[in-house]
Amino acid sequence: MRRVQVRFLPAELTVEVEPGTPLLEAAYAAGIELHQGCGGQGTCRRCRVAIRSSAPEKAVSGPLWPEGGLTWTLACQARVKKSLTVEVPAAPAPERWEEAVVGEGEQAWILLEAAEEVSTELAPVCFSLSLTLPPPGQEDNADDRRRLLRVLGEQLGGAKIELPLRTMQLLPNLLRENRWQVQGVLCRTPGGYEVAALRPLRNSYHLYGLAVDIGTTTVAAELVNLGSGRVCAARGAYNRQIKYGDDVISRIIYAGEHVEGLEELQGAVIETINRLVAELTAQERIAASDIRAVVYAGNTTMAHLLLGVPPAYLRCEPYTPAFTVPPPVRAGEIGLRVHPRAWVYGIPGVSSYLGGDVVAGVLSTGLDRESPLTLLLDIGTNGEMVLGHQEWLLGCACSAGPAFEGSGVTCGVRAVPGAIEKVEWDPVEREVRVFTIGQQPPVGLCGSGLISALAQLRRAGIVDRTGKFTAGQGGRRLRQREGEWEFVLVEAAQTATGQDVVLTQADIQNLLRAKGAIFAGLRTLLHAVSLDVGQIERFWIAGGFGRYLDLEESIALGLLPPLPGQCFRYVGNTSLKGARRVLLQRHLLEEAVELAERITYLELSLGNTFMEEFISALFIPHTNLELFQRGEGAA
Amino acid sequence: MKFEWPVEKWPARICSVTIGPSGAEAGGGKRSVTVGGEGALPFLALEGPLPHRPALALEVRDELPDWPQVLRDALGPSCHDPVAWARRCEEEWGAELICLRLSGASPEGKNKGVSEVVALVRDLSGAIQSPLIILGCGDVEKDNALFPKVAEALAGQRCLLGPVTKDNYKTIAAAAMANGHSLIAQSPVDVNMQKQICILLEEVGVKQERIVLDPTTGGLGYGLEYTYSVMERIRLAALQGERNLASPIIVFPGSEAWRAKEAAQAARSGGPVQGVVWELLTASTLAQAGADLLVLLDPRAAAAFREHLGRLWKGGEAA
Repeated sequence: MRRVQVRFLPAELTVEVEPGTPLLEAAYAAGIELHQGCGGQGTCRRCRVAIRSSAPEKAVSGPLWPEGGLTWTLACQARVKKSLTVEVPAAPAPERWEEAVVGEGEQAWILLEAAEEVSTELAPVCFSLSLTLPPPGQEDNADDRRRLLRVLGEQLGGAKIELPLRTMQLLPNLLRENRWQVQGVLCRTPGGYEVAALRPLRNSYHLYGLAVDIGTTTVAAELVNLGSGRVCAARGAYNRQIKYGDDVISRIIYAGEHVEGLEELQGAVIETINRLVAELTAQERIAASDIRAVVYAGNTTMAHLLLGVPPAYLRCEPYTPAFTVPPPVRAGEIGLRVHPRAWVYGIPGVSSYLGGDVVAGVLSTGLDRESPLTLLLDIGTNGEMVLGHQEWLLGCACSAGPAFEGSGVTCGVRAVPGAIEKVEWDPVEREVRVFTIGQQPPVGLCGSGLISALAQLRRAGIVDRTGKFTAGQGGRRLRQREGEWEFVLVEAAQTATGQDVVLTQADIQNLLRAKGAIFAGLRTLLHAVSLDVGQIERFWIAGGFGRYLDLEESIALGLLPPLPGQCFRYVGNTSLKGARRVLLQRHLLEEAVELAERITYLELSLGNTFMEEFISALFIPHTNLELFQRGEGAA
Repeated sequence: MKFEWPVEKWPARICSVTIGPSGAEAGGGKRSVTVGGEGALPFLALEGPLPHRPALALEVRDELPDWPQVLRDALGPSCHDPVAWARRCEEEWGAELICLRLSGASPEGKNKGVSEVVALVRDLSGAIQSPLIILGCGDVEKDNALFPKVAEALAGQRCLLGPVTKDNYKTIAAAAMANGHSLIAQSPVDVNMQKQICILLEEVGVKQERIVLDPTTGGLGYGLEYTYSVMERIRLAALQGERNLASPIIVFPGSEAWRAKEAAQAARSGGPVQGVVWELLTASTLAQAGADLLVLLDPRAAAAFREHLGRLWKGGEAA
């Protein structure tokens, strides 16, 4: 069939697709990430695009409506019929959120340096060794293989070493041509080492590794030079599985209930990683086959889907995963486009809902080796946390929902340029001011903006402690539409989308449930070990969302406990950092398994404590006001 | 060695709430009732002061619901006239308070207008000496329209209005405060939500001596044990110093017990009426859990409950 062209504005990117291709797919192919909130159901209306071609009804099939002089459609619903031009509204430049996804960078409230790397000794999972072999003679006529293994054995402390066929084939000539002096590329295998390649000594080679954080919403990857330990490049992208569902549960269902559903999901995440690899290798001008090792960290569902293991039983009582320690595989086995024989290692998880991403977090922050009582909180679609110190570790996961990531909220967006990250209420003027990422015209509210907005509305008395709007407060900005109260933060004329940015009563309830779940999880963990919030010495926040979080507002709202400011620290994407550490320190492969076993998993669905705490936390800041006296004082 | 009772000492006391005009407000022979003030668990006078005996209210409806015949018979023909009904409650059946439930105002029922309801409330209030409890019809919008007018019509009489919930308290609380009434703060059988509504009322300026808690009554066989344990938790927390929960508790064993299908069954020959037993058991259990104000329905159950209470009660300020 004749292919058709789709041109995307304002990025000026054109792709050729088969007629009938969903517009969303075409956008993916062009490298354009459209906002997604409903998993392609056509309900969140966030993938709205304007069709700039004449006769839009001939160019696409799907919903069409006129608005502001343009014809709009939903990219997830529309299919391409003929060549056309599409305008993506307020297309977010990816740089800023990539930074957030990768988790580097500074934040004003970080009073201490970002968590130091615990150990810096370089012992990567893949490394090269210069080898000088004694030439054979009458006295020593051992075969080439044995000769090589003898020398390697001395250097690697007697570990089991294998010589794959390809290496064997090169061995006899290479040794003799290079006068018994060669360079061996050694890779860590599940059972020991293998000589992945042999090269002449004089040539210089670079070995690269890939660290990947596979999140439900976003995937982040780093290209690491294994010789120097340096991170060469880092990239982030939306997980392409999003179109099969927003959260892990809907993806587990999809994998189980669709023919080839599991294969589709596996393909989607592999494709996401492969695209990142392509970008990273292009940026560094290296070949994909130079990547000789991969370490990934992800939640348990993501690990199952990456390896194509049915995840169905994760969501059925008693929530048993197929594995918590992912089996190492060769890249070629799962279609990862790095060196096909590169080993792909996953960081082990603890349980169905406390995955390798959290273990990687503990590993990268080193809280398991230090004495202060520390809480590591990773806020994403799930709020996962680990409490403890060198003596013990206790973890839990609570479903916060996607509100903090901009989903499930009327005007929610991810932390993209133009996302409102801070809101200020002027009590004198009785007016509201918003601050956006990159000072761009507002496109919506990201998680930190939501928290800021609600905290300010509460402070102004426009909402009460249950998050209900108080009629008569808020002036003309508080209005009722289709029977629901909403507060207009920015009027249509000032936004990039041409629509009002509002916070509705339902949005607030979603947000309260999200913050309530996280705080209730925290209290339940503490309760399990008979400790009080005040005894936490260090409170570390991981994940992209934490980056823009305003501490005072979060405490005023009851998302974070009222600890002194210096307790808090933003530690970035610890899942990615943990994967990188394993890549650079191979002994951590075993340590990660031991660490995962050391973390005691607390199942929140057992017993009443969590539900009680949750109800108490569905209040601003908390039913137990005394708990938040500092937060109140600041308010 | 002399045996000594192990006595639990509580650091806090329940707030006292007076319903009905007191002091200068009083006049025209109006009575008032004070409940609460406990410094000990129910009926454990040994441990602390129990200044006020649990009070008995009888419920009156502006519109007679589809109640079982055994109950209608007990109430007699007066049950079609709320004013006459209320007078019998006061004069013949020993009610210390009258609880008027405005169910006829419900949009799902007769949908009586605000002025009609206000006229009834005025008439009824003029015909009795006992303090009044006024319950809304349960429809949020209608109650928000009703209560400001009802509160105004009864200004100064220190009635108990409600219930208010955390989703609907602002209008009713404002109406109550402006006209000197008290409020019933309701929660869905949950100690944390009970506390939340109390904090919300406090924040809009309702004083604690104007709040009575309604943790939602479940009748015998229909959630009584949940109500019991939540009341127990509320009272224990309050006596341990949880200020926002240190208010008297109102329960509705009458209307809840008669909702049970078992209550409607005809009496076995010579035996007691099952509904009366159902109501009495619900009421006496809740009194044991710490109820300060019990709203009953059937005059026979009320008489039996008063007798039971008389045997149990050994309260007093200095126990």
